[in-house]
Amino acid sequence: MLLPACIKSSLRITLYKPLRWNHIAPNHHSSCSNRRRLSVPIFRASSISTVSTAEAAAVMAQDGPTRQYPLQVAKRLEKFKTTIFTQMSSLAIEHGAINLGQGFPNFDGPEIVKEAAIQAIKDGKNQYARGYGVPELNSAIAARFHKDTGLTVDPEKEITVTSGCTEAIAATILGLINPGDKVIVFAPFYDSYEATLSMAGAKITCITLRPPDFSLPIEELKSKISKNTRAILMNTPHNPTGKMFTREELNQVASLCIENDVLVFSDEVYDKLSFEMDHISIASLPGMYERTVTLNSLGKTFSLTGWKIGWAIAPTHLIWGVKQAHSYLTFATSTPMQHAAAVALRAPDSYYEELRKDYKAKKEILVEGLKSVGFNVYPSSGTYFVVVDHTPFGLPDDVAFCEYLIKEVGVVAIPTSVFYLDPSEGKNLVRFTFCKDEDTLRNAVGRMKERLVRK
Amino acid sequence: MMSGMVSCTQPPFSTTRVNCKRDMKENLSSIAKTLKPSRLQQLFFLAECTNAVDLAVGFPDFPAPPHIKAAAVSAITSDFNQYRHVQGICNLLADKMKQMHGLDVDPLTDIAICCGQTEAFAATMFAIINPGDEEILFDPSFETYETCVLMAGGVPVYVALDPPYWTLDKVKLFDAFSAKTKALVLNSPHNPTGKVFNMDELKIIAEYCRTKDCIAITDEVYEHMVYDNEPHISLSSLPGMQERTIITSSLSKTYSVTGWRIGWAIGPSCIAFAIKNIHTKLTDCAPAPFQEAALAALTSPPEYYISLRKDYESKRDFLFKLLSQLGFQVEVKPRGSLFIFAAIPRTCKLTDVEFVEEMIKQGGVIAVPGCGFFHTNHDYHKRYIRFAFCKDDATLTSAAQKMQELEFFES
Repeated sequence: MLLPACIKSSLRITLYKPLRWNHIAPNHHSSCSNRRRLSVPIFRASSISTVSTAEAAAVMAQDGPTRQYPLQVAKRLEKFKTTIFTQMSSLAIEHGAINLGQGFPNFDGPEIVKEAAIQAIKDGKNQYARGYGVPELNSAIAARFHKDTGLTVDPEKEITVTSGCTEAIAATILGLINPGDKVIVFAPFYDSYEATLSMAGAKITCITLRPPDFSLPIEELKSKISKNTRAILMNTPHNPTGKMFTREELNQVASLCIENDVLVFSDEVYDKLSFEMDHISIASLPGMYERTVTLNSLGKTFSLTGWKIGWAIAPTHLIWGVKQAHSYLTFATSTPMQHAAAVALRAPDSYYEELRKDYKAKKEILVEGLKSVGFNVYPSSGTYFVVVDHTPFGLPDDVAFCEYLIKEVGVVAIPTSVFYLDPSEGKNLVRFTFCKDEDTLRNAVGRMKERLVRK
Repeated sequence: MMSGMVSCTQPPFSTTRVNCKRDMKENLSSIAKTLKPSRLQQLFFLAECTNAVDLAVGFPDFPAPPHIKAAAVSAITSDFNQYRHVQGICNLLADKMKQMHGLDVDPLTDIAICCGQTEAFAATMFAIINPGDEEILFDPSFETYETCVLMAGGVPVYVALDPPYWTLDKVKLFDAFSAKTKALVLNSPHNPTGKVFNMDELKIIAEYCRTKDCIAITDEVYEHMVYDNEPHISLSSLPGMQERTIITSSLSKTYSVTGWRIGWAIGPSCIAFAIKNIHTKLTDCAPAPFQEAALAALTSPPEYYISLRKDYESKRDFLFKLLSQLGFQVEVKPRGSLFIFAAIPRTCKLTDVEFVEEMIKQGGVIAVPGCGFFHTNHDYHKRYIRFAFCKDDATLTSAAQKMQELEFFES
């Protein structure tokens, strides 16, 4: 229970405890009752679909065109399908598995934030917001950023609000990357990076972070970065490994970027979910603010992933490109949620302390559980993910293991090979999340202890 | 002031903190360098800052329908706050497409829910355009189409509609097609002119799309804002068109919730599939509680749409009468949308930008200079002003009073 002891009870968070793992949409729209069917979530690495059981099979058939029609889809998309996730989802539904794959909580955000959104709707704040953000939100973002990094930014000129951090990433890449530009990414990576870089026509150079500690391979970075590199896209705390870049690693990245005049796009959505060390924003290092776009969002920190409130912070000469691309991608971001986000971001430090404490407890349940089951669990310093080596259980690769885990054990994990440019690099690893209530975590561990057998 | 607002090609660089060897301007993508800031967004902001009576922005100043707001509030309270895709929206949209246009749409495979029509359109462009592909756009047109085409590496090709009735010239349209034409964009009812493309015009467009094997993307956000018993016909409903048309639309205008960002693209399954994939990478999902509220919106009773239309029709009539009386050249009442595209009185030699500037300075009424909607040079492209009538009656009355007092209307 995320209960900040030292502040008003209005910030108490009520946990949503489902009877089973699946979210069954309450039938509160009587006019729609003939339309409602049992909705069950389908996971993807980053998002969710609710599709009825009866229709699941048809959705699975969506993996490619079903009608005979000249395929007029742009060439840039040929790589991007949702195959693995629709496959896993269909199995998950069929077998009633406990879902530790989805990267979003099964409990809800703080009442005070939800009430702020409701009030905004009632107050008529339902029309287009200013494109780059509602003023109070921009100010709140600037204030929080200052608290976190010591940097002072101009909320009017150095912040753009977007529909989630996903859009901030898309707008940054489309606004600042030209076809042919060289961009370095670290594998494994969040699945939108590769897609969006391809949309911008970038040339992707991939550097793999390897177990056990997924540390930065500095020599490899030195050899691959040059004056021709346009940008590095990094993520800390890191999804899926939970790795956090240390000050030393960030200093190394920073000095290479300064030397070669390279930009950094830093995805920091999990910055408040840092457990083993403090999160450091690379923008706060000397000489880095002027070349960094810092990306973040509301969703993970406040358990409101479906609200889609994110932002980019960068100096004016960089924010310009982000702002322009954003205005043509979505034009504006959801107005009532922005007002509520401004309230959320003014939460006292105690909120974040409780958040960390609560997630730490959940992490322990999962990690201890996974270890006792027999996984090699890699240390995760941040985010709400851990990756484990599944090979003790004798399956040939991560996808096979995940299928087995769903069918025979009744638990869902994500095969990490989808997070790599070269999928074979991820075949020994799978990702579990602990952003679930404690009962769910214990039940999942229980099932694995019972049914998962080391070979 | 106003002139700075209309076009700004230079991004505001601060040179004080930059210590880099490379000129930071070089870090912008080539598209970003050519992009101008959204004129409409600048206007929205100015409208907020001044006390001008706002006939510029295309969204209402009256409250959204209570039943829809209640649904959103209920969704937030019931914890619909995590990533989701509400399939029910697709089911309802499929029904609507059948009811309104006789189209058979598969709700499982043919519909993508996006963050507003804006994102649906952007995602569609990324889904179908390869660098170098040409896209036909009508002129005047809403500012975002061109930019989305450019962002996806396409080449916009304009076909001018002919004033004063904004008629479609068949020959001009034919000449716009080339071997590189991939798609055509049709916005009907039309922003800024309020034109509603009729069956004859749609037949011509459809014929060329079929014979040239071209995709059509429609923007139908004003689909319920049609007046004088004018029907809104979706291009997709014409023979041979459904298989090559992507319809984009949203909740925003129909339900007065432009700030909720719920829109959609409906098209052949392989394209809808691609659009969904792009959308997932652009924003991941549309705001969850508002997706829930969309179910309430899309099941509004028929009376809602009837009274919406009636209401907007009378506001249109009021504004039309006012503008005619003041001497603006408005040849015919617009049959659709929320706008009147009026030509400046012949006797006045000001450009549209200068005129709007004067309206603000003198009388405190703001509207949109039409030049931002034109993309090719015509002798008339600085002579039009777009007025929005999606405003409270009190706003319209106040605007009328103020405009009547403006100097250049005194005879």
